[in-house]
Amino acid sequence: MKQLKSVLFASAALTLAALPAQAQNMPKRIGYVTNYATHEWYQNVIKGMQARAKELGIQFEVQDANLDIAKQVAAAEDFMAKGVDVLIVTPVNEEGVVPLLRQAKSNDTPVVLEGNPVKGMTTMVAICDYDTGYFSGVEAGKYAKEKLGGTAKVMNVGLPLLSATVLRSQGFMDGLKTIVPEAVMVHDLDGGGNPDRALEVSAAALAKNADINIIYGINDSSSLGGLQAWKAAGKSQDALLTVGTGGEGLAFINAMEKEPSYRIEAAMFPEKEGYTAIDAAVKLFNGEEVPEHIVSPTAPMIGEDWKKFYDYDASTRSIKWDAVNALKAPEKCMKTAADLK
Amino acid sequence: MSHTSMTAAPDKAESSFFARLLKRQEMALFLCLVLVIAFFSFTAENFLSVRNMTNVFGQASLALTAGIGCAIVFISGEVDISIGALLATIALPLILIMNGTESLVLGIGGALLFGLIIGIVNGYLTAYAGINSLIVTLGMMFILRGGVYLYTGQRAIPDDAALDSFIALSDGRLFGVIPYSAIIAFGLLLIFAYMMQHRPFGRQIYAVGGNPEVARLAGYDVRRVKFTCFIISSLLATVAGIILAARVGSAQHTAGLNFEFQVVAATVLGGVSLAGGIGSLTGMALGVLILQFLSNGLRGLGLPTEWQLVITGIIIIAAVAFDEAKRRRAIGG
Amino acid sequence: MSEIVHPSPARRLAGGRLLGSSQLVLAVILAALCIAISLAAPQFYSEANVIAILRQCALVLIVASGMTMLIITAEVDLSVGASLAFVGCIGMAVLNATHSLTLGILASLAFAGGVGLVNGLVVTRLKVNSLIGTIGMMMMLQGGVYLFTREAVQNHHQLSSFTGLGAGYVGPIPMPVIFAAAIFIIAYVTLRFTTLGRYLYAVGANEKAVRLSGLRSERLKLLAFVVTGLCVGIAGMILASLMNAGQPTAGRGFELTVIAAVILGGTSLLGGRGSLFGTLLGVLVLKVIDNGIIILGWNQDLQMVVPGVVIILASYLDIVRNKANVR
Repeated sequence: MKQLKSVLFASAALTLAALPAQAQNMPKRIGYVTNYATHEWYQNVIKGMQARAKELGIQFEVQDANLDIAKQVAAAEDFMAKGVDVLIVTPVNEEGVVPLLRQAKSNDTPVVLEGNPVKGMTTMVAICDYDTGYFSGVEAGKYAKEKLGGTAKVMNVGLPLLSATVLRSQGFMDGLKTIVPEAVMVHDLDGGGNPDRALEVSAAALAKNADINIIYGINDSSSLGGLQAWKAAGKSQDALLTVGTGGEGLAFINAMEKEPSYRIEAAMFPEKEGYTAIDAAVKLFNGEEVPEHIVSPTAPMIGEDWKKFYDYDASTRSIKWDAVNALKAPEKCMKTAADLK
Repeated sequence: MSHTSMTAAPDKAESSFFARLLKRQEMALFLCLVLVIAFFSFTAENFLSVRNMTNVFGQASLALTAGIGCAIVFISGEVDISIGALLATIALPLILIMNGTESLVLGIGGALLFGLIIGIVNGYLTAYAGINSLIVTLGMMFILRGGVYLYTGQRAIPDDAALDSFIALSDGRLFGVIPYSAIIAFGLLLIFAYMMQHRPFGRQIYAVGGNPEVARLAGYDVRRVKFTCFIISSLLATVAGIILAARVGSAQHTAGLNFEFQVVAATVLGGVSLAGGIGSLTGMALGVLILQFLSNGLRGLGLPTEWQLVITGIIIIAAVAFDEAKRRRAIGG
Repeated sequence: MSEIVHPSPARRLAGGRLLGSSQLVLAVILAALCIAISLAAPQFYSEANVIAILRQCALVLIVASGMTMLIITAEVDLSVGASLAFVGCIGMAVLNATHSLTLGILASLAFAGGVGLVNGLVVTRLKVNSLIGTIGMMMMLQGGVYLFTREAVQNHHQLSSFTGLGAGYVGPIPMPVIFAAAIFIIAYVTLRFTTLGRYLYAVGANEKAVRLSGLRSERLKLLAFVVTGLCVGIAGMILASLMNAGQPTAGRGFELTVIAAVILGGTSLLGGRGSLFGTLLGVLVLKVIDNGIIILGWNQDLQMVVPGVVIILASYLDIVRNKANVR
């Protein structure tokens, strides 16, 4: 009986989910103003968007703010002048796009945000940054207990610029402490999110504190910059753990294959985030209710785990949609940007 | 650089020759602008719509306003590359004061006061202490940018006051068509272009930049003229910063990053020489508009950033090279 | 441009002393910085940290050596940061394709030298101001690198000789430092003791006079651009080795660090005046500040503010000293 009920319920849910999808009107064109299109993360977000838009027969265009908030506003203005049906925006900065949302509202253009929340937004598709850091922290704790003699002295190659990246670092330390309570963050660095800056600041920090045994990076460039500084200092990777975040491109796959200390990667599946953002845009276009925060899933990948989610042929990677779509995202984040203030 | 033959010196015949030459140069720039617009109106969707055109003028208001100051400093024979960082810095007093007092006037007053102080420091160190202006303003750029990062802890400061008058600077349009920011920019351009061409102070700036020795002999206070030019530049960058703060509704620590490169490129493209004494504000304005329409059109074509960068780079070099060739021929002939 | 000091024989002799006036100021600043940081944080002079500082200095010094020559001829190159990233990607890609470090290095040198050549031709033939010409080149390279590769070029073969470029040691000294020292010495000897060096000063000091006296000033400037480019080629390969990949995002703001170090070292942007020894001190001061702020655990945003103050202050002290000398 119970089984029957659940089957009935499931099929009902399926029909419910499928019906509106068929009844939905499709927007003709969607415009996406990205933050930084030359970055691997956003390239893969765009790939996911393109794939989904093609499936649904939507014309999809991208503009790049190239980290310049003034250019972001200009690009969004261009899109609205062109008459796109829905706008997707990855804010260069959380406060800076408030006027843009105001303009879109007076222009009756619905807006989906990707990545960062903004005051007065309708909906945002984003991962839970704190949770992402937290679960990779837990895994790092287990590893430290098993392989590093239970000590955890962390060099955080961080990026104070964005609340998202601050949350990742906080989550990592909190997760780590659930397993290794005496874990400490020895250095809290600003690696600028790019590899050469990360390398430079890490070199100085490693010179000061030789007892560091965990490198945490808020993205792959940061963790790799930290690891390269370690190698350049002539140290062995035997008693080191490197933890990256993002899984944004090819670099982490290369590192997990070749660097003995690079054991944990908190994958954030940018392709999935793009896919979800298009779905959210369609819903907004149809005036459907959407949650304020649509969570896109993340997962810590240990060792060879990445092969579950990606195919890699030495020059490109392709996502395994079935595996990623099967991941369950939490309803709510443990901590958000609002908790930082 | 052959200064003497090119300056708007008091010599009557020469200045009218100079004026004629300038006219020709501006004509070429104007044709170039028309060409850019014509090209994109055929290729880029929606390019010629009123909405898109007025958008571009609104977007150009930043570089146009700051470009006036940049051009004036260039003409005086110096450079100011601190303007991008200043754009971000003055948003702090502006937004903080508005959040505290709910007054746009006080906020703008605070921003202008801050800009004035920076202009005085830049001007003093260059004109009176005698340090190379590229060094002074490069140092100032680091100090201001780092200062903003330090003060804000790399967090943008939101405009909590949300005064209607301030929002109008971003969203407001005269008759619902022309953005207020564009009107401010073109108003300032008219005022300063008049000053440069028809007031004694404008002539002094050309003379000082063209040949400081001659200017000194003519009885001009070279130091005071240069000092004033830096103040003008900082104040105009402040105005640009206020418009930008309105457009992004906050004080942004990364605002105006690389803005100085854009403005310098547009100014030189507009025929204002880095060597001093040569160029006009009209030329600068045409340079700004060419680059703005170009980037708007390239966006309209849906070209990715990398192509936009490559094409803009090529056009800047080609335009300046063409301009130089023309100028040399003009001198030779 | 009337305030240029002609490099008369007397002046060159005066400059022949190890420390010119501006270098003295800088040396004092450097010593004061090192002592102050060491007192506050003894780890500063640990072997590991000294090596870390030297390795950071090496990259900047390599490019700054070329840049010093270029600025002495009264030109400047803002495209070096963008070129640095591009060079690393190209070198890495060629190395991956050919399995040969030599070919990788040759390709990166050819590319970077080519960029220098184009910069030089644009400036000398098309008469485009070098500030603008190289801003244009910077944009083209920033765009071009992403047309070349959208992702970091990974190191496929892991040749140990390649890894050694950046992370290797000869005895206790890191490889990049040895490269930097070699390039510095070559540039130093060229500028100080050869006819070519004298000509470079002369071109910057008074281009017209040099042209009249029959020297091909344009060739000399072209040469300085190409040399700067080649230096970027070497630095780019070392950086790629250090990062174990060709990173298209690398090198942001690198041009400003290099130019700041050169002018901090007392080389005049107007040309005709300057020394490589000053540049060395300039590089050391900037990198010691960078490192010290992290060692002291200060707010990293000071890494921008402090160099800004030091650049202005050093130029100012230099002028004050010169005035005092005149009196």
